[in-house]
Amino acid sequence: MTTPELLATYNYDSFTPEKVLRWLNFAASPPLGEPAPDFPLWDLDGRPTSLREIWSQHLLTVVEFGSFT
Amino acid sequence: MNALANDLAAANVGSIFLYTHEAHPGENYPHLTSMVQKAAHGRALRDVLGVTRPIFLDALDGACHRAYGSMPNMTWIFNRAGIPVYKSDWTDHHSVANALTYFLDVNQRRRGRERLVPFRVERLDYRTSDTEAFYAGLARSGPKAVDEFKKAAL
Repeated sequence: MTTPELLATYNYDSFTPEKVLRWLNFAASPPLGEPAPDFPLWDLDGRPTSLREIWSQHLLTVVEFGSFT
Repeated sequence: MNALANDLAAANVGSIFLYTHEAHPGENYPHLTSMVQKAAHGRALRDVLGVTRPIFLDALDGACHRAYGSMPNMTWIFNRAGIPVYKSDWTDHHSVANALTYFLDVNQRRRGRERLVPFRVERLDYRTSDTEAFYAGLARSGPKAVDEFKKAAL
């Protein structure tokens, strides 16, 4: 899948089973108890950080994934 | 989840909201096409829906979200070493609070020199299903989001 295709399909423009269900893959997500993958993130002002930088700041870190909708 | 974050901040528990993609794009909050738009939607999450935890944006292609399973409202808990100790395919503050209470107790037991080794457990938790609130959320996105959800029948 090319980058433009990925951007368009991940950020689907309408909620249909065909566009939504293809992404749901919790069963294959990283296992508990093993080092998790790190990814770059940005704050609301565009400043870069990373998941690693965030989880390393506290004894435990709760990460809720979601959106406005 | 905001109250839980506040309650446990003193126990060295951090909490963030990781902005993914629009699960139910509508006229008011359409699908994302830029990081500028994504930041604007993130500010709406803060200003309209009242999320007080720090909000961070995933890449526009959802690299992080996709790697962690792409569920629309999941929650993960990591320790300081980046080891996930809890993951749920839906967010429920009772479940998260229950898990945090357990892990903070584990930390206390370790401080008391108790020798602990990890093991895996599966459990089915339960969340409140508030249909009225859910449809109110869809309506905030716009009539398109409401219609598409009804038609999808998921």
